[in-house]
Amino acid sequence: MKRREFVARTCAGLATLSPLSRLTLASAAAPWLLVPMDDAQADHLKAYGLTFRLLERGGRAEWFLNYRNGSFLLPADAATARDAALAGVTTEPLEDGRLVQIRGQLQEGNMDAVPLEKAPKVAVYAPPNAAPWDDAVTMALNYAGIRFDKIWDEEVVGETLKTYDWLHLHHEDFTGQFSKFFLNYAGAPWLVDMVERNREVARSLGFPSVPAEKKAVASAIAAYVERGGFLFAMCTATETLDLALAADGVDIAASYADGSPMDPDASSRMRWERALAFHKAQLELSPTMPVYSDIDGHRVNSPDRRQPLGSFTLFNFSAKIDPVAAMLVQNHRQVIPDFYGLTTSFTRDTLKPSVTILAEEPGTPWVKYLHGERGQGTWTFFGGHDPEDPQHQIGDSATDLSLHPHSPGYRLILNNVLFPAAKKKELKT
Amino acid sequence: MSRAFDLERRGSYAAAAEAYRSVLATKPGDASALLGLERVLLPINRSAEILPEVRAALAANRSSGALYGVALRAWAAVEEPDSMRAVAERWAQATPGDEAPYREWGAAALSRRDRAGALAAYRMGRERLGRPHALAAEMAQVALTDGDYTTALREWIPAIEKLPGYRVTAVATLSQAPEAVRPRLLQLLAREDKFAARQLESELRVRWGDPLGGLRALQSSLPADRGSAVEALRGILDQLRTSRTQEALLAQGRVLEALAGRGSEAQASRLRLEAAQAYSAAGDRDSARRMLTGLADDRTASATVASGAGTTLVTVLVGDGKLEEANRRLEDLRPSISPEEYGSLRRSIVLGWVQAGELGRADSMLGADSTIEGLALVGKIRLYRGDVPGAIESFKAAGPYAGERAEATQRTTLLALLQPIEADSLPALGAALLQVEKGDTAEAATSLEQVASQLPASKGGAELRLLAGRLAAASGKSGDAERLFRAATAKEAPATAPAAELALAELLLGQGRAGEAIARLEHLILSYPESALVPQARRTLDRARGGVPQT
Repeated sequence: MKRREFVARTCAGLATLSPLSRLTLASAAAPWLLVPMDDAQADHLKAYGLTFRLLERGGRAEWFLNYRNGSFLLPADAATARDAALAGVTTEPLEDGRLVQIRGQLQEGNMDAVPLEKAPKVAVYAPPNAAPWDDAVTMALNYAGIRFDKIWDEEVVGETLKTYDWLHLHHEDFTGQFSKFFLNYAGAPWLVDMVERNREVARSLGFPSVPAEKKAVASAIAAYVERGGFLFAMCTATETLDLALAADGVDIAASYADGSPMDPDASSRMRWERALAFHKAQLELSPTMPVYSDIDGHRVNSPDRRQPLGSFTLFNFSAKIDPVAAMLVQNHRQVIPDFYGLTTSFTRDTLKPSVTILAEEPGTPWVKYLHGERGQGTWTFFGGHDPEDPQHQIGDSATDLSLHPHSPGYRLILNNVLFPAAKKKELKT
Repeated sequence: MSRAFDLERRGSYAAAAEAYRSVLATKPGDASALLGLERVLLPINRSAEILPEVRAALAANRSSGALYGVALRAWAAVEEPDSMRAVAERWAQATPGDEAPYREWGAAALSRRDRAGALAAYRMGRERLGRPHALAAEMAQVALTDGDYTTALREWIPAIEKLPGYRVTAVATLSQAPEAVRPRLLQLLAREDKFAARQLESELRVRWGDPLGGLRALQSSLPADRGSAVEALRGILDQLRTSRTQEALLAQGRVLEALAGRGSEAQASRLRLEAAQAYSAAGDRDSARRMLTGLADDRTASATVASGAGTTLVTVLVGDGKLEEANRRLEDLRPSISPEEYGSLRRSIVLGWVQAGELGRADSMLGADSTIEGLALVGKIRLYRGDVPGAIESFKAAGPYAGERAEATQRTTLLALLQPIEADSLPALGAALLQVEKGDTAEAATSLEQVASQLPASKGGAELRLLAGRLAAASGKSGDAERLFRAATAKEAPATAPAAELALAELLLGQGRAGEAIARLEHLILSYPESALVPQARRTLDRARGGVPQT
C-alpha cells in the first residue's frame, strides 16, 4: 500500500462522512461539529482522543489542515456530542451552509481537508515494568483516551508487530548500553533491574548479548517500516535506532555491555545506508561519556559540551502539495520552548539529504523534528524526553497533562498518532 | 570625574562616556573612570567600544583587580574567549593564590551563557591554586543551572565551611530540589560529619516540611560553644518562622526554649514567652504552661513580657476549658493590653463557652460586640439555638473577612447549607451542628440525617444529607457515607446534586470501585454541564480512567 499521497478533496467531505452517522444526529439543525484547534479550544490534547474514538466507532472525520490551526470536522451524532462533553473538548455546531463556506476558504488558501477513515492500531514499545509516566507518548495517549498496546522485544522480533499500524519508541537504547547510565546510576535498583531484564530477554531469544539482540530488534523495526508501518520515535530511541541499524558487523557497544570494547574505527565502518535518518556521524568512543555520537546537538549529560535550551520553530508546509508534513506540524503555536532528552536534537551535518525537517532552532547547527520514508512506510523523529518537563531528571515527579491541556509540544506527538488515519491514494505516477 | 558622574546620574550616557574618556586620556589606569565608562556604555549597547581604554588601562596599571575585571567583561562582550583567558592568566600571575581572576573569568563567561567556558575557568582555578575546594560556591551555582543538585550539594558544603554566609544561598537554592532527589541529598548530608553539613541538613529539612526532623538533625551535633550554638539555633528559627504548621510551631517552641536556656535573664523571659506562644499555637498546652510558669506573675519581668505572658496564659486556659479562670486573668490584664487585644481574647472565651454548649453564658459575655468577628459569633450562637433566619442574618453581616480564612470558608459553607431551609426554628439542627463544632462527627452525622428526613430535598434535606455523608466519610463509616451521598443526589436539588455526585465518586474511587465512580462522574458532567464542579469532575474522571498520574 502506498502512503505517499493523501486525498484531500474539497467538497468531498459531505460524502466522506457515513450516512449512518447522519441518521443519529443530535440536532437536525446542526449536522456537524467543528472542533476548533486555535485558542478557542479548551483541551487541545483531548480533541485528538475525541476524533480517534469516533474513528474507532466506525465514524469518519475530516482534518482541516491549517484551518483554525488544524481543526477537525466530526458528525454531530449523539455519541460524539456526549464524548466531547465528557472530555471537555470545545466543539462548535456547524450547519451545511457554513460548512460550504469553510470549504470555499480551504480552496482559496494554504489549507485543505483530509478525510480520516480508520483508527490506526497503536503499539508502544516499552519493557513490561516501564512506568506509565516516564514516556511522553504513553502519557499523551492515556490523557487523550487513545487505546494502545505495549509490546517489547519478543513481540517485535516475532510476528506480533506486523499487526499494528503505528509504533512508538521512546528512550530505548538500541545500542544495548543501557543508556550509558552505568556512569551515573551504578547500583541503583532500577538500573540493576533494567540490566537483568534485558539480559534475560536477550538470552531467551538466543542472542549472545544485549547489544546483539537490540540490533536484531532495530532491524525488525526497520523492516516493519519498510512494509508500510508508521514509526514515531523520541529521545534516545531516534539516535540509537539508527546507530544500531548502521552498525551492521561493527561493535559499537562498550565492554560492560557485551564483554568486548568498542571498535576504535567504528565511525568509519558504519553502514549508513541502513539507517533511516542519519549518516556520517562520529561515534563517541568513551564508555564513560554519556553520549553516543555527534548526532545530538545538545549533549545533556556531557557537562563540558552541554548546550542551553532555546526554542524551536515549526516549518509551514503546503497543505495541498505536502499534506503529510502539513499534518505533522498542525499547531496553535509556531515557536515552541525546547526540552532536553538523552537525545535532544539532531545536528544538521548528520542528516541524510532525503530527510524532511519539520522543526528547527534557527541559527543553530541542530534541528528538532524530522520525517522521512522507508519503503512503503514512514518514520518521524522528535528529539527530547517530555515537552512539559524541559529539564527532565530521573526521579522527577510525573507530568500531569491535565495541567497542560494546550501543550503545543504534546500536540506534535498526537498529530503523529492521528495522521495514519488519513485516507491514502495511490500515486498517479 | 565629577562632571562624568553628574552626566551619568542624569542619564546622559553618551556624554558621560566622553567625560570618562577624557579622564582616562590623562590617567589611563584610573579604575573609577574605567568602571564608570563600562557602566555608561552598557545601557547604550556600546560595551564593545571600551576595548581601547581597557588595553591602555592594563598597560598603565598591572596590579588593579578592578581593571582586569572590566577587561574580562569587555572581551566577553565581543565574544573573544582566547582574550578572556589571556587576561585572566595575566591577572592570576599578578595576584598568585587569589581566586578572583578565575571567579571573574567564569562570571564573564556565564554572562555570555558560556557554561562550558565558566566551568573550564573554575576547574583551571582549582588546578592552578592547588585547592580542591576553591571556587566551590561558583561550581555549585553552575551545577544548579544544570539541575544537578547532588553536585551542587557536594560543592556547597566546603563553600559554607569556608564562608558560613553562603549557607543562606545554599539553603535557598538546594531547597528547590525536586522531591524525588531530596532523599539522595539527605543521604549525602548524613555521610558528612561536619557541623556545616548538619546545619544545612536541618534547614533543608525544615524547608522540605520536616521541621522536627530538622531540629533533631541540628540538636544531634549542636556545638558546646554558646555563641556558635545560639547562632545555629537562630538560623533554624528563621527558617521555622516561615511556616505555621503545627509541627513547625512545635519546633519553634523547642528552639526558643533552647535559646532561652542560653540567653541572659532579660532575654530568657522574652524567649520563654515566645516559646510559650509557639507551643500554645501548636496545641502543646503543657509545654506552654511550663514556659509560662512564674512569668505572668513575675514582678521583675518587663511589662511587655508580663502582659504577653498573661495573654498567652489566657489562650492556654481557654484551650484547657478553664474559662472562668481565663476570664479572671483577662480582666486582671485589661489595663495593660490594648482594647483590640482584650476584645479578641474575650471572643476566644466566648467561643469556648459556645463549644462547651453554654450558649446563654456565651451570649451574655459577648454582649453588644459589634465587630465583624463578634457578629460571626452571634451567628454561631443563633445557629446552635436553631434560629435559622437569625444565623443567616448574622453570617451575612459578618461578611467574608471576619477571622481566619478557614473560619470565613466555614461561614460560607454554613450559609449555603442554611439558605434553602424555610423553617424559622430548627433546634435539632442547631444541636446537630453544635456536635460538629465540638468535634463529635459520628453523632452529628446521625443527628443531621434525622433532621434531613423532616425536610424536602430541595429545602435543605439534600444539603444536610450531603454534610452528614461527609461527616460519616470522615469518621470512616463509608457505608453510611455512600447511602447519604446517594440520597443527596436528588434531582429536585440541582444545586446540591453535583456536589453529592462528586463526593460519591471520590468515595467510590477510594474504595477501588473505579467503574462505578466513572459512571457517576459522567452523569454529573452530562446532567449538570453548567455546574462549577464540572472541571473538578473531569479531572477526577481522568484520574479514575488512569489518564493522569495519581496525586
